[in-house]
Amino acid sequence: MKTITFDQKKTSSIALEFDELITDNIYSWTEEDFAAYKVPVGNSRFPITDYFDITVEGEAESPAEVKMILNGDCNRVKYIGCKMSAGEVVVNGDADLHVGAEMSGGVVTVFGNVAAHAGREMKGGKLEIMGNTKEFCGASYIGEWRGMSGGEIIIHGNAGKQCGECLVGGKIHVLGDCDILAGIHMTKGTIEIDGNVNRWPGGQMKNGNIVIHGKVGRLLEGFVEQGIVTDPELDGIVYPGRYIEYKGDIALNGKGTLIIDAEKNRDRLSTWIEEDDEYNAIREYRAQ
Amino acid sequence: MEYILKNGIVYDPANEVNGEKMDICFKDGKIVEDVSADAEVLDVTDKIVMPAGVDPHAHVAGPKLVVGRLYRPEDERRGVAQKTKVTRAEAGFSIPSCPTTGYRYSRMGYGTVCEAAMPPLEAKHTHEEINTIPNIDINPLPLFGNNWFVMEYARENRIDDLAAFIAAMLRVSKGYGVKIVNPCGSEAWGWGMNVHGYDDKAPYFDVTSREVVRALAKANEQLGLPHSIHIHPNDLGHPGNVPTTIATLDSIKDIAKSTKASAGVRDQTIHCTHAQFHSYTGNSWKDAASGAEEVADFINKNPYVTCDVGQVTFDETTTMTADAPMEYDLFKISGLKWANKDIECETAAGIIPCIYSPKTPVSTLQWAIGLELFLHIENPWQVCLTTDHPNAGPFIRYPKIISWLMSAEKRMSMIDNGEVHKWASKRTGLAGLEREYDFYEIATISRAAPARIHGFQDRGALTPGYNADIAVYDINPNDFDPSKDPEGVEKAFSNAYYTIKDGQIVVKDGDIVSTKQSHTIWTNVIGYEEEEKQIIDSIMPFFTQYYSVKWENYQVHDHYVPNPTRVDVEAK
Ligand SMILES: [Zn+2]
Repeated sequence: MKTITFDQKKTSSIALEFDELITDNIYSWTEEDFAAYKVPVGNSRFPITDYFDITVEGEAESPAEVKMILNGDCNRVKYIGCKMSAGEVVVNGDADLHVGAEMSGGVVTVFGNVAAHAGREMKGGKLEIMGNTKEFCGASYIGEWRGMSGGEIIIHGNAGKQCGECLVGGKIHVLGDCDILAGIHMTKGTIEIDGNVNRWPGGQMKNGNIVIHGKVGRLLEGFVEQGIVTDPELDGIVYPGRYIEYKGDIALNGKGTLIIDAEKNRDRLSTWIEEDDEYNAIREYRAQ
Repeated sequence: MEYILKNGIVYDPANEVNGEKMDICFKDGKIVEDVSADAEVLDVTDKIVMPAGVDPHAHVAGPKLVVGRLYRPEDERRGVAQKTKVTRAEAGFSIPSCPTTGYRYSRMGYGTVCEAAMPPLEAKHTHEEINTIPNIDINPLPLFGNNWFVMEYARENRIDDLAAFIAAMLRVSKGYGVKIVNPCGSEAWGWGMNVHGYDDKAPYFDVTSREVVRALAKANEQLGLPHSIHIHPNDLGHPGNVPTTIATLDSIKDIAKSTKASAGVRDQTIHCTHAQFHSYTGNSWKDAASGAEEVADFINKNPYVTCDVGQVTFDETTTMTADAPMEYDLFKISGLKWANKDIECETAAGIIPCIYSPKTPVSTLQWAIGLELFLHIENPWQVCLTTDHPNAGPFIRYPKIISWLMSAEKRMSMIDNGEVHKWASKRTGLAGLEREYDFYEIATISRAAPARIHGFQDRGALTPGYNADIAVYDINPNDFDPSKDPEGVEKAFSNAYYTIKDGQIVVKDGDIVSTKQSHTIWTNVIGYEEEEKQIIDSIMPFFTQYYSVKWENYQVHDHYVPNPTRVDVEAK
């Protein structure tokens, strides 16, 4: 096992680009290798040691045996963990654009907030963000119609606009609130949102699942109410509780499933069936 | 500056040089018989020497490329390379940036590329793009097949007026020859329709595709243009389009080739582009199969026809064509993002990404049909190497296609190992074809034949007096079996050992070592000045009323073509 620790010395107003400094490339590097390395900053390159003190401990035979720790405010460090296939990255602070983008394996954990395009087109592995994410988390690159295809993203804070855009696989779990158009254009995979959703979840979705435990602001017209479901099972996972189920987006002949918490969204229903005992039991269970 | 390429193995089909060890000399940008003792020696001992490649049909410059680049940023990030001391940054895969286009052709040993579809209304922008593509000369073909004036002249059989119109439009757009795309069909698309078959009429014009094509062919030969008509026939990509293709080619049979010196290089009176897309039998994709043998038979029997293939390469690419109704058909099949444009009274355009996968039956059928055409057409002077870039695949795959053509074993292994869908063996005859191209034939289909077909008299051969456009590949043909080493073929043809353009070394060992401004090749018709003036006067009231630009702004003035290669045609 090898631990590579980056302790921040100074920040840069122009973003540093870390796509070369991923476990796949640096697992065999020594401190001397880092001392000789110049990191892209805008249209130039500068020694990485201008920005970070780097300590290397232990040995690694493969990227899987590397743990990379970034201590400091990395909100101007882009592409952390981008395209990595194995190993572990921990950011003790914020991260800039494209953290975990296109990663195919390994684990990236960010203990702060991240900028846009986190986990963009992720293929595998796990990306966990303790703070908030900006827009296009787990989405596709601009123009691209195939977003995240595998792996898992967990956001403990709130997610920005178009979270899971063009999702074609994998799972995104937002523990906080989610901004507009979550899961727009998605064709597969699951987005679970514990908090409230501003507007229009699932716009133009073709397939896949969106589960919302909070309140939904506005739904698109292309979602057709299917009635109330209890403990629905989606792709083998049971979501305890009562939900209103929708299918959509019929504007695109979509067959996606959108379930939203029935009680929090009861104003959407023309008739409200009084809660039964079983439902109350589940609520109590979930409240524990 | 004088150079001598020493001890190479030369393949120069235009001069019937087939793998002879000899020296090639060049001086001040031209091939020469001899050089002085001071000449710089470039040692290319036992390496393949050919004229630089000539691409007879590709889409590299113009507004539809711009639309493609704008709406496919996801393509731009594929193929990114950092700038070097010589080159600018590279970007793009199927629709690379302009400089990238030049570098990549250059790396493959190419020197000339035909931009195969320039709407006259968008000619200015096409030339602006051409000016930013380094290292390759470009001859753009203006589109005539759906032009409202052309359709009127064709309906009334006014061949003299049509000839004058062509002469004027080549001058106005700084174009090289006559391109026809889905004649009458792209116009019909303005009404949400298409034409079906060769004898269908464009709505409101009372003229058929047959009449338009024949009129343009007659006018083309009357002027004696260096290139023949260059046609993308009707019904592209539709199962059962073989009769349309053959009817189109057959309809030109009685039109004699011009006897003028300017047309003297070529043998053909019609060039059928991307024949692969026009060689399908069946009634729908359910029962579609290869019509390659039938089309190839026709070409074998009729020396007045040439073609290029438009070989499918199994890539995710971007299709773009003036055949806008066909692009709409593709959109209905794939549902991917689609762009469409109407070019006023001239043509239309459509663009859509396309994924050719060896796992899908249709892509595999198209792939096999392309190879069948290459292998069934007996005379390599009648068939050219193209992918209709970017429509069937990006041009950077030419070396891969060369490797397929040179190795029956490779083709068979792809079929036998299930690397391609089983339709390749079930619906085409590819598995039964054992022919393998040799280097002489490869040199023919990738440089000598395209140059002759386009009527070039300054390139495509290592003739003294010609431009010193030369490619050297790091293969010793006497010690190398292309049939057994397709990867080696692909590697060598992807990374030229030398590419020499106008006597300047632009590539060494696969790296761009220098760049130069490209030439725009256009055709200047001499002798029709009076007729041109009359025809422009006659269209002016209509033009002023219906075009969105003024005539003064429509013309491509000389400063848009800062580095021209003007081909003068004595048309009278
Ligand atoms: Zn084309």
